[in-house]
Amino acid sequence: MLKVAMFGAGGMGTNHARAYARMPGVAVVGVMDHNRDAADRLADAVGARGFTSAGEMFDTISFDIVDVCVPTPWHAEYVCLAAEREVAGIVVEKPMGRTIEDCDRMIEACQRRKIPLFPAHVLRFFPEFAAARRQVDSGVIGDVASVRTRRGGPFPRAWENWYGKPSLSGGVILDLIIHDFDWLRWTFGEVDRVFARCLSAGKHEVDKDYALVTLRFRSGVVGHVEGTWADPGGFKVGIEVAGREGLIELNFNQPASPAFTAAISGPVGAGPGVAVPENPTAESPYYLELEHFISSIRSGTPPAITAEDGRAAVQIAAAALESAETGRPVHIV
Amino acid sequence: MGVKIGIMSMAHMHAYSYADAVRSMPNAELAGIADHDTDRAIETATTFETTAFARYADLLRTDIDAVIIGSENVRHRELCEMAADAGKHVLCEKPLATSVEDGQAMIAACRKRQVQLMTAFPCRFSPAMGRLRTTVIDGAAGSILAIRGTNRGRCPFGWFVQTELSGGGAVIDHTVHVTDLMRWLTGSEVVEVYAEISNRMFGQDFDDTGFLNLRFANGVFASLDTSWSRPKSFPTWGDVTMAVVCDRGTLTLDMFAQNLVLYSDKSGATSWSHWGDNIDRLMLEAFVSAIADGQPVPITGEDGLRAAEVALAAYRSAETGEPVVL
Repeated sequence: MLKVAMFGAGGMGTNHARAYARMPGVAVVGVMDHNRDAADRLADAVGARGFTSAGEMFDTISFDIVDVCVPTPWHAEYVCLAAEREVAGIVVEKPMGRTIEDCDRMIEACQRRKIPLFPAHVLRFFPEFAAARRQVDSGVIGDVASVRTRRGGPFPRAWENWYGKPSLSGGVILDLIIHDFDWLRWTFGEVDRVFARCLSAGKHEVDKDYALVTLRFRSGVVGHVEGTWADPGGFKVGIEVAGREGLIELNFNQPASPAFTAAISGPVGAGPGVAVPENPTAESPYYLELEHFISSIRSGTPPAITAEDGRAAVQIAAAALESAETGRPVHIV
Repeated sequence: MGVKIGIMSMAHMHAYSYADAVRSMPNAELAGIADHDTDRAIETATTFETTAFARYADLLRTDIDAVIIGSENVRHRELCEMAADAGKHVLCEKPLATSVEDGQAMIAACRKRQVQLMTAFPCRFSPAMGRLRTTVIDGAAGSILAIRGTNRGRCPFGWFVQTELSGGGAVIDHTVHVTDLMRWLTGSEVVEVYAEISNRMFGQDFDDTGFLNLRFANGVFASLDTSWSRPKSFPTWGDVTMAVVCDRGTLTLDMFAQNLVLYSDKSGATSWSHWGDNIDRLMLEAFVSAIADGQPVPITGEDGLRAAEVALAAYRSAETGEPVVL
């Protein structure tokens, strides 16, 4: 039995904890959150104990895996704390850190103790994104000239509006489209230079954000990433890859119908119901992602996403943030 | 009798659509087609049941009121100056010019002879674009903060990829439409341009991929994809799209999304068959009624020049790797 200790009982912490709870041979044993109610509620749901401090949790229970799903700027603190213990592996939610220096601290702390550190870039486990990469790799559209992605929806509301504070979340560039940066780097290789503009640049607190990022890959491929927290029309993602012999797209040129939609009338007098489109898959990408890491720990093989990958994605985002601040292209060395 | 219109060169495929539109209008007449390619003049004049002229001067000596210039981009200035000297109003295909100097000369020539110069930006006449602009003006969404635009297509080849005739590839061909829409929507001018430009689609000596980033005087930022990135198997010619991010929401435009989907065993292909309005015709109607009524044309030579300047700045940015200030 592999025992998991969770840091953070927010949206993603809940998501991860519930995935572990139904994984064979895995149990969540502790949930730490500064919010006592949130910690206890999630702990109850997954059969674990709730804690409000890391020290209390570490002194009370034994565990093998630590999963860090606290807000981004505290990733490094908890990962480094966990790395001082005898743990078999650490999962850190994306973005790996608020800064490259944070990433370096975590990498160093984990390397010293030879602890695998897994940045949770779940997009690689979304079947549509994995399939798009396989198609590109297969050469079916020939050499690639350009790639576009888009991602986003309404502004996310969470603990103390931390998403709306660029100093904490890094805005859409670091928090949201880092998904695309990781997928793009995984698919098209290293990025050479970045030019970006975003609404949150230079702001202290925002209630929306929007970013347009232009990338030039070392291969010569040109990329464009659109990220929005300013679209009340619902969450959307899209991919478009243009090659010499064809084009691959997802939700770009025509709206793909979801595989399942429930449109249900609300109670009488309550107004219309809301249609919730879904593309059901046999297993959730979050489960697949964490299961992959757990099996890599069991087999002693390196996970498919390394801490260096997590750092590289943060580096692209940091370059985009710098470009948005300065108005100049930023080269990644 | 309506407004008599002549066409100066059928080099651009849009000229065929304009010829059709003029012929379909009750208050206009297609009075002749002149072309430096005599065979093309004769062939198209036959198709459109009008008179062929081997020399532009001969067309301009007739009693036409206005001309449509449909030549290769680099010839726009010469033909525009000839038409202005002959006292004919001008509707010029986009991009207005391939240099700032040429564009300024065209505007000056028309002003001097007191003829009107209109740039052919039919996208302003799209009813969906009209809805977008009305929604912005109504103010319910708040002010515009950022815009993501695309205008992609298939590579047209021919003279479009001979840069000595076109002045450039995908960037000069496709920057101007959406830049003009963004200017029209924001009421502001582009003050800075950054661009990544490449030729990886075809690997030849013309640009086929252009990702532009624009900054407007009022603080709005925007990006624009101008690439010839639609494959031959794409179900339609291309797109014009915008996402307009405002204070209180996002407005999206997919201008040519009004299609039937056609699955044809005859062609073995799936294609989109457009059922929306013919915006070329709507544009020609606006041009003809302005000329007939002696009113100012709705889109000017200056509008065309401002948009062309952005494309030219994009090339300079790509050369230097730095943003270019206008």
